[in-house]
Amino acid sequence: MTSIRSLSLRGFRSYDELDVEFDPGVTVIVGDNGNGKTNLIEAIAFASTLRSFRGVANDVLIGIDAEVSVVRATFDVEGRELLVEIELPRNGRSRVLLNRQRVAKRGELAAAVAVTVFAPDDLEIVKGSPSARREYVDDLMELLHPKNEAACAEFARVLKQRNALLKQLGGRLDDAAALTLDVWDERYALAGERLAQLRRKTVEALAPHVESALRDVAGGDAKVGVEYEPSWRLGGLADTLVGSRGDDVRRGVSTVGPHRDDVIVRLNDLPSRTHASQGEQRSLVLALRLAAHRLLTDVRGSAPLLLLDDVFSELDETRSAALLAALPAAQTIVTSALEAPSASHPDAVLRIRDSELVP
Amino acid sequence: MADYPAAIQELIDAFGRLPGIGPKSAQRITFHLLKADASESARLVRALSEATARVSFCSVCFNLAEGEQCMVCSDPQRDPHVLCVVEEPRDVVAVERTREFRGRYHVLGGAIDHLQGVGPEQLRVRELLARVQGEGITEVILCTNPNIEGEATALYLSRVLDVPGVTVSRIASGLPVGGDLEYADELTLGRALEGRRTVVR
Repeated sequence: MTSIRSLSLRGFRSYDELDVEFDPGVTVIVGDNGNGKTNLIEAIAFASTLRSFRGVANDVLIGIDAEVSVVRATFDVEGRELLVEIELPRNGRSRVLLNRQRVAKRGELAAAVAVTVFAPDDLEIVKGSPSARREYVDDLMELLHPKNEAACAEFARVLKQRNALLKQLGGRLDDAAALTLDVWDERYALAGERLAQLRRKTVEALAPHVESALRDVAGGDAKVGVEYEPSWRLGGLADTLVGSRGDDVRRGVSTVGPHRDDVIVRLNDLPSRTHASQGEQRSLVLALRLAAHRLLTDVRGSAPLLLLDDVFSELDETRSAALLAALPAAQTIVTSALEAPSASHPDAVLRIRDSELVP
Repeated sequence: MADYPAAIQELIDAFGRLPGIGPKSAQRITFHLLKADASESARLVRALSEATARVSFCSVCFNLAEGEQCMVCSDPQRDPHVLCVVEEPRDVVAVERTREFRGRYHVLGGAIDHLQGVGPEQLRVRELLARVQGEGITEVILCTNPNIEGEATALYLSRVLDVPGVTVSRIASGLPVGGDLEYADELTLGRALEGRRTVVR
């Protein structure tokens, strides 16, 4: 089990200075909107992922009056104490230390300290564009195995190079350029197949967890299918590139590949993005997050820290209670604009006003 | 932001344009030079102007050279049939340090990197082809970096160097000598497995 013991913030978002200790059980952070509840959860998640779950650039996290943002968090991972220290200066490089040792790669930190975040924006995973679903799978993949990050990074780099070449061609392909494009196609097909296979395997491992998680949060016996849907035939990316070459050159961009793929979530055989009701979509999102959390717990042999940002305001009493009952025994930190949901049985309540703790 | 007299700011900016030197280091170097003995600056100025005046590219392999040809190309002891293709002159130095290689070099002047506007036409590929076709070369070793751009460059060269009687090889990539398997990253270990060799008994 991963839990956070204490957090200290200097110049992070709306917090000039904050030092807080956490209960090992369920903590509810209560406060009116705009008082800094989400910023607090964001800081905890940042100490694991080194990026904002709200999808903003890191310099946005630095307090308006601050030159440097400092996040210091003490975690307990299976009884081992881990101190994470992050310095995020407005100018220059950020510094990340794990137990006073420099962390070179993002994945190293995530491998040591894992968090699962439920956030209102998660609805995009079901309702939004394919990029939201790819990001969900890629994030999970990296957490399952930090070394998967290399496969994502490699394809991203090859894609950038190939697109830069296509753009420079200006729609015309002479023999010399075709030779260079051949070379990139070979690298692209290799990196693309590798990334797609990893994603497909991740989705296959996830799928059974999603169905059972949905049953836990919404009841009923709906059939859920989760499938990786490449925009090309797996194993045949090299051939597909031959066919799409004309289009790629004309449009100056790579038109097929893992960056155009989707993950289809079906509810009773119908695509949920277009056919599920609002309520069903909300339940599905919770099920997807919960499933990822359970899969991570299985694979890593240790439950990540659970962070729930303003999730209950969107759910009725029954669904809130069902979600809370379905959450595994792990430290859980919840934000709520209203009083804590009655089913949450909090061990501790933190009140926040104007980004300060209220006794 | 005119914090310094113009001449000093000019010097700081000049250092700041060099690779690997940020604004802070540029300031530190500038003030070090101004504070130190005048002879130290004079020595730097002399070394710099001598180097830029005397050093040029070798007319054969494009390595750095004092004079028409570099030290390797003008050495009659080197095997003229084997060519090692590298990205930069500093890679020549790296390979030379191994003392394992007795052939000659060809310096491309970089790797294919479209993000930096570098395609094969910007590299010394045409010159390489001319050498391979004309100089009686039997083996070409592709010694570009084992990163995405270097691999693509090696793949490109292996295709254009389709000359009868010429063997093209790629340097092996894998585990560092003296390292431990358990600390190797998967990509490197995978490559090492791919490039395994039969044990000679």
